[in-house]
Amino acid sequence: MSRGVVRLSMVLVAALVAQHSVLVNIRVAGVSPDLLLLVAVAGGIAGGRERGAVVGFAAGLAADLLAQTPFGLSSLTFGLVGYGVGTLQAGVIRLAWWIPLATGLAASTAGVLLYALLGSLLGQAHLLRPELVGLAAVVGTLNAVLVPVVVRVVFWVLSGEREHAFAR
Amino acid sequence: MAVYRRSSRPRFTLLLVVLTSITLLTLDQRGSGFGVMATVRDAARDAFAPVQDAADAVFEPVGDFFQGALHYGDVEAENERLRTQLAEQDRTVLAARDSDRERRALLDQQDLDFAGDIPAVASRVVQMSDARFGQTIQLDRGRDAGVAPGMPVVAGRGLVGRVVDVSARRSTVLLVTDPASSVGVRFPLSGDVGVAAGRGRGSTVRVDLVEPDSVVARGEILVTSGLDQSAFPAGIPVAQVRAATAATGALQQDVTAEPVVDLEGLRVVKVLQWSGR
Repeated sequence: MSRGVVRLSMVLVAALVAQHSVLVNIRVAGVSPDLLLLVAVAGGIAGGRERGAVVGFAAGLAADLLAQTPFGLSSLTFGLVGYGVGTLQAGVIRLAWWIPLATGLAASTAGVLLYALLGSLLGQAHLLRPELVGLAAVVGTLNAVLVPVVVRVVFWVLSGEREHAFAR
Repeated sequence: MAVYRRSSRPRFTLLLVVLTSITLLTLDQRGSGFGVMATVRDAARDAFAPVQDAADAVFEPVGDFFQGALHYGDVEAENERLRTQLAEQDRTVLAARDSDRERRALLDQQDLDFAGDIPAVASRVVQMSDARFGQTIQLDRGRDAGVAPGMPVVAGRGLVGRVVDVSARRSTVLLVTDPASSVGVRFPLSGDVGVAAGRGRGSTVRVDLVEPDSVVARGEILVTSGLDQSAFPAGIPVAQVRAATAATGALQQDVTAEPVVDLEGLRVVKVLQWSGR
């Protein structure tokens, strides 16, 4: 098993524990930061579209384990978000410090909306509600605060993968 | 010299991710809560339960700190409101005692000793759902403690909701305020029935199917109807009528009611082991 996979597994377990023990208690307008969605976003930022899709899928799978929504909805959404962020990130020259923050905010907001949209297509009509745009913006803002830390962690995860590739 | 070549591998990876997710979704939908994905989820939830309990014990003060910091303004406003309320209550304490006696008498008449002889499982609320995903709470008791889907959940003053999902050590409760929740209720004063439907967290419930000429008193406490095929036993307080209006020519009254239980501050609840459909 590659070092990257081991690191990613460790990070996802830690993120799941943090999400359901600490972050769940930090509520603004009834919503909490979505750490696993942010891991998917960070995957796109740190690793590009392909790794973004894989990291997003894995993060979504972890989120699905403890979610009440259909199993696979998070992995599908987060995989698409990771890929989308990676695609956009490829066209950005990272000079400004605020670009990852803005990406975290926008991608997390979009991820929440996409989740609800895909969920409603799968019969979870209650996920699409008028106040959802506001709630998504709050999640995006909360996630943006955590971007610097999470992006560094995901860089560390992906560096493990590169080290493994060089070692072969 | 490096040559840029647009690779199709990322798109192939994305396709793989999408197809795998769709396969998982299909397996989940086909299982309808009992298939392989439900088993995986139950196992994960139960395996995570002790970790979550331990983490809760360690991190709860951290969460409380953030809650306090984030809602400092609310706390100040709440303090001010409580001071005003205390002053008002000093003036009306005698009237309140009288009202309380009257209320107790009414409750006795309406037979609101709702737990009755139904066995119950006391349970701690370990998690409240994020506002994005509907109004549910997670309890620290599951199948091992005798909890089953469909069982009513009550707190001190009345109905909280019903169990919708159970694993060995955890259960999920759909609150009465969830838009997917509907509870058959009875108006004690008139004996008429209606359906209390949720409208989202922190809000009132809407009572449907109330005839225009039905007598509805503001402050009246609605109780579960317990009609045939009802999901709840009769007589559990659900909500207190806040407003009732009937537009001319309308087929039903527009009734809003506030849940009798403070659903935002739930810590301990009781699952009634009732399956009397």
